Amino acid sequence: MKPSARPLSTSVSCADHDAWKRARPGSAAFELHGAGVVFSGRTALTEASLVVDPGEALALVGPSGAGKTTLLRLLNASQVPTSGTVCVDYRRLDLLPPKGLRAVRARIGFVHQDLALVPNYRVLQNVIAGSLGRLGFAGGVRAMLFPTRVEIERAAVILERVGIAAKLYQRTDSLSGGERQRVALARALYQEPSALLLDEPVSSVDPARARDMVELVTAISRERGITLVVSIHDIGLARDHFPRLVGLRAGRIVFDGPIDSATATIATSDLSALYSLEGLARVEPAHAH
Amino acid sequence: MSSLRTHTDPGPRPFPVTPRLAVALSIGIAAVIAWLALDAPLAKLVPGEGGLRVVRAFFAAALHPALEYESPVPEGTPHILAQALAAARRTVVFAAAGMSVAILLGIVLGFFSTTAWWSGDLAGGTSPLRRAYARSLGPTIWTAARASIVVMRSVHELLWAVLFLAAFGLNTTGAVAAIAIPYGGTLAKIFSEMIEESPRDAAHALRAAGAGPLQVFVFGLVPRAGPDLAAYSFYRFECAVRSAAVLGFFGFPTLGYAIAQSFENLHYAEVWTYLYALILLVVLLELWSGALRRRFVA
Repeated sequence: MKPSARPLSTSVSCADHDAWKRARPGSAAFELHGAGVVFSGRTALTEASLVVDPGEALALVGPSGAGKTTLLRLLNASQVPTSGTVCVDYRRLDLLPPKGLRAVRARIGFVHQDLALVPNYRVLQNVIAGSLGRLGFAGGVRAMLFPTRVEIERAAVILERVGIAAKLYQRTDSLSGGERQRVALARALYQEPSALLLDEPVSSVDPARARDMVELVTAISRERGITLVVSIHDIGLARDHFPRLVGLRAGRIVFDGPIDSATATIATSDLSALYSLEGLARVEPAHAH
Repeated sequence: MSSLRTHTDPGPRPFPVTPRLAVALSIGIAAVIAWLALDAPLAKLVPGEGGLRVVRAFFAAALHPALEYESPVPEGTPHILAQALAAARRTVVFAAAGMSVAILLGIVLGFFSTTAWWSGDLAGGTSPLRRAYARSLGPTIWTAARASIVVMRSVHELLWAVLFLAAFGLNTTGAVAAIAIPYGGTLAKIFSEMIEESPRDAAHALRAAGAGPLQVFVFGLVPRAGPDLAAYSFYRFECAVRSAAVLGFFGFPTLGYAIAQSFENLHYAEVWTYLYALILLVVLLELWSGALRRRFVA
């Protein structure tokens, strides 16, 4: 199933009373409505509006500093918007109590650009740490120190799926960069996520491995129906693997469009504008399509 | 600074007193004043005829430590080497007992004197309760923990020992507490600093995956500082062994007690036997902790 891209919805659908009924377990839906983020006077994101349907796969493209990471952090409730609203599964995050936010985060797998693993853990512990969000404190201690056979097997199955089955008991800092990236992905998958967010998964590895990684996450999210949002610097890679691209520049969404034969030319001109220094004026209307 | 000045060269100064030079001069002047106030300490370092003889005898004994007691001992007294070994064992036991309590104190107080468990960065939330917690309760407990650490550390273990000696008499628990309190304070201070300075990437990632504040602290933050915490605890254990030995001078049955007795009897060769036992002990500990460190870090 290749989810088709759609024009931006202007209605606040998560404000509808019955909207939550549309939520699909296992496939998260995201909405941003005029979301802005300001860090101590510096604007990271302005008036960002975006709708991501359950099971959709999309790539965020744009130069570094464009606001891609901030947008991803909004989606998993790591970042509170200074203006506008964020909805996950048609629920407004600003109306959720801390427990509810934790529950939302626990269902969203996030692979950080710097991977954010504990280097002196064994691979198994780093993977099982993905389940902490679902466990209480005592349960977490138990799972981290004395994982059950079932938990170990689950971790092993995921590691096999991401291609590093043999590394279960190795110390994480003894692995290569590419292998560590797969550990970070395995930790996110161990959360049994309904969405995967990846921040620049290709920046830390060589191009061939980057392609493998992108193919791996797109395949996994397709087979499990997981919603996938990936920020990618490399436009070619994004276009080859994602049906929908969202372009960011200087904290604004400058285009949001499908990648298929009909719109390829538009997308191409938009893309070149995205990275050109003088192109801001040309791509100013955010809802050009 | 000086390299910057060359770009906008103001020419030679009429009187070249830079701030840096002023600081250096003040330190020098302070040293001279202190020296004079101490009433020529170097002159007193030249020992008299008798003192010189003692020093010579003492260091000469270093070359031939006693393998037998230097004077007759009561029937049934164990051999001096057995005595040294037993005293060394008791020294380690005192140090280990003090350190286990100190580590507990260090972990608990160290936890409360980090900002990580209540600051908005890792544990903070948006609910009013969370905010109030981060604004009042967290900082209050943090301040209390910091204050008790300062009190525990600022009194030396020997002073604690004197205090407990006066209060409880020659009591093993007093000796253990004398080590545990200042060491617990030092460990708490260093633990909290190491934890605060350890990279927070994994902690943020766990928080992003829905982990609670305590989980984030225990599984995301502490492990990143883990090898450093372990290495520092080992170093403090070595210090505790030396402290336990010195506590012997107050009558606790550690190596210091044996050293003090032999010294009073002017049995320098025996003193050296016990000193070598102490040195050997510290070297063994160093080898052990080095091996463990290699396992932790490699």
